[in-house]
Amino acid sequence: MAYLLIVDDDEDFADAVATVCRAEGHEVAVANNAAAAEASLAARLPDAVILDVMFPENPCGGFELARSIRKKWGACPVLMLTAVNQQFPLGFSHKDIDSTWLPVSDFVEKPVDFAILKSKLNDLLNQPRQPR
Amino acid sequence: MADLASPVAVDPAVAVYELLPDDSGAAPISDDDAQEAEHQRAFLRQNAHWFCRLRWLVAGFLTTCGLAAWLPVWSPQLALQQLPGWLLTSGVVLLVANAAFQFTLTCWPLDGHPGRLRLHLWCQIVLDLVVLTVVVHSLRGHLIYAPVAYLFHIILACIFFPRWESLAVTIVAAALLGTLVPIEATGILSPPPGLVETVVGTFDQASWTWQLASLLGIWGIIWFLASRLAAELREGRRELAAANRRLEASSVERAAHMLQTTHQLKAPFAAIHANTQLLLNGYVGPLSAAARAVIDKIASRAQLLSQQIQEMLQLANLRSQSQAKPVLAALELRALVQRGVERIEPQASLRGISLNTRLEPVFVRGSDDYLIMLIDNLLNNAVNYSYNGGCVSVACQPGDEQTARLVIRDQGIGIPAEKLPHVFQDYYRTTEATQHNKASTGLGLAIVRLVAQALQAQVRIESLPGWGTRVTLLLPRVSDPAPAE
Repeated sequence: MAYLLIVDDDEDFADAVATVCRAEGHEVAVANNAAAAEASLAARLPDAVILDVMFPENPCGGFELARSIRKKWGACPVLMLTAVNQQFPLGFSHKDIDSTWLPVSDFVEKPVDFAILKSKLNDLLNQPRQPR
Repeated sequence: MADLASPVAVDPAVAVYELLPDDSGAAPISDDDAQEAEHQRAFLRQNAHWFCRLRWLVAGFLTTCGLAAWLPVWSPQLALQQLPGWLLTSGVVLLVANAAFQFTLTCWPLDGHPGRLRLHLWCQIVLDLVVLTVVVHSLRGHLIYAPVAYLFHIILACIFFPRWESLAVTIVAAALLGTLVPIEATGILSPPPGLVETVVGTFDQASWTWQLASLLGIWGIIWFLASRLAAELREGRRELAAANRRLEASSVERAAHMLQTTHQLKAPFAAIHANTQLLLNGYVGPLSAAARAVIDKIASRAQLLSQQIQEMLQLANLRSQSQAKPVLAALELRALVQRGVERIEPQASLRGISLNTRLEPVFVRGSDDYLIMLIDNLLNNAVNYSYNGGCVSVACQPGDEQTARLVIRDQGIGIPAEKLPHVFQDYYRTTEATQHNKASTGLGLAIVRLVAQALQAQVRIESLPGWGTRVTLLLPRVSDPAPAE
């Protein structure tokens, strides 16, 4: 069992993902904005963060939070979720992972297939933590 | 009771923002005047340096001539035996002054002071004109075109400065020559010793006034034409730069808008999809078969609608970008195709469709986003219109010297010959395609057409019902992985 933090401004979506994660036996916390996420991270470091890219007040809020997580809690894996298709300008793809502007472990495109989400999450949780 | 509608007595802590009737609500793009001023500063700075470099040549030439004139071997050939002092002095004055100009350009903070840059250029021009007048005075008469050298500075002033300033330079030049000629002609200032023909010697002694007036008149005409032309060019360039800035700003705004719109439209579908999956996968309890069928329909229609919206946005984005060429670079086609195949693989494996690839390294000139769109749409079509358990072959390889070839071949339903010319139209779907794949939007190949046009790629489709479809894409090839444009 792992402790997960889900960060998404869409409460309906976040709750659905939380339901799936809880059914997998994980303990889950949900934050609907970057400030709440930072507070939650500071209070208790999760085993993984499931993070949305865009927030209503900041289209790149997810990127910024990912960079902040990498900076403050480098060993914490981040699985990024996005509704922005990579075919649009400012989109991104796997090749950008681990570059300075997208410091996440992996990403999944919305709408999310729960089988894919669970598989990627398990991969992340089973990976040895990289100390920084 | 207080009147809440009253406009007065607002608490100063309350923040206020007024939307004016002519306010678009968009973020301000940029300050045209500030950018224009910056451009003008850069232009002046660049030309001040260039002017200094040119002066080194002129000063070096005059100094060399002055020194050569001392040598008995060279002075008769150069006909300068009477002039070494004049030329050498002029050359040395220019060298020293130019060193000072160069020093101030390099060491003084001129960038933040456009007035200083202007003053610097003015000093350079005035010094040049004075030295030129001395040189003209000292030249022999066979260099009858010497006064024309003033034109160089007049035309440069037209390029550097606004009209009234270039007129001032012209007046300074006219005043210098207009003073020199009368005082030489009237004998107030004697020509250099031993010289019979001075600058006045280039004029007819009897009618020097008329000739001087003609020369100054010609300068005036040249100033008028050059300054007018320069002003028009400046204005045209300014308008073009402003139009470019507006275009760039609108392009950035459009990209951001598309991104935001996509997110806003896809996010609700993502939530619908996630919640239907919760229901269908039994996370919130068992469902009856009828309820499951209804939720299945809701999920599939929501997904189709989401895909349609996304493709409509892509198409609209491509059309709005049709006047602005994408930024092209050298890209490795093999890597892009490989990633496209990896993206389609889960969808193909669900239906038992195998993907055979033969990918050779080849570089093409294109845009990352556009090529991904192209490859994804073609691979999606190949998989969507294949039969379950079928096979899709993907190959990329060098074509001839100018092209790279991408071939995607399926063994699916194929397209009847009479319908083939219509497949690139918006929303066109053959009856067979609609029956085979209800999730088709009819926009995929319309997107392919626009992207191919933007990348100057050629698309060839060969198809036959029962045989399948082969799409061949010919892309501009580059041999060097360095950026092509």
